Amino acid sequence: MKLFLQIVGLGALLLCVTLVTLSIKHRGADGPSLLFPGGKLVSGELHAGADPDWSFTDQVGTIELETSDPVSSRRIFVMESDGKIYVGSAYMRSMLGRLWKDWAFDVEEASAHNAVARIEGVRYERRLVRVTDPKVVVGVARKSAMKYAGGETPEAVAQVMKQVADGDSWLFELAPRSK
Amino acid sequence: MSTSSYLKVCGGSAAVWALGLLFVPPFSQAVETLLLVFLSTNAQ
Repeated sequence: MKLFLQIVGLGALLLCVTLVTLSIKHRGADGPSLLFPGGKLVSGELHAGADPDWSFTDQVGTIELETSDPVSSRRIFVMESDGKIYVGSAYMRSMLGRLWKDWAFDVEEASAHNAVARIEGVRYERRLVRVTDPKVVVGVARKSAMKYAGGETPEAVAQVMKQVADGDSWLFELAPRSK
Repeated sequence: MSTSSYLKVCGGSAAVWALGLLFVPPFSQAVETLLLVFLSTNAQ
């Protein structure tokens, strides 16, 4: 029994060391790691001019998204629909989700919703606008199912729609700042 | 294992683990992947 508790204790210690070490390691970095938030997105060309044809993001697995209050960045899925791009945040009603996806709560509570998306090395200044309109959500759900759930099946699309409607997943449009 | 030996093992393991996370990218990426799988599975 004592040995078992010692092993459990060592495991808990290594988990704590992991969380603290990787949080500190990435905190001020130019971009996030796979899981841990990074700092301000600094490198990469800053896009100017008209928006590109966002359909190229269909070939992009994840993007880096910087939010401004507080300044931090994370790696996130991206979906293009009807010429606009969207990001999502899942697990919003679970305890772990609240810890993991704190950025979405920060955006929702902040007065400034400015963000910077770095996609394939190019930075785009955007503004996060939460989307709940089912007419918009359905297109994003289709793209999300196609890219990240193995295919655009009616079941997968309906599941994403339900998650958004129930508040388990939040969707944000990466809108132009001038909008 | 005696308490003093256990504390030495904990201290040594934590130090080696932290150094691995800081200076061995494949190790830290593997650990992050495991954490991501855990969160994705349990954050429902």
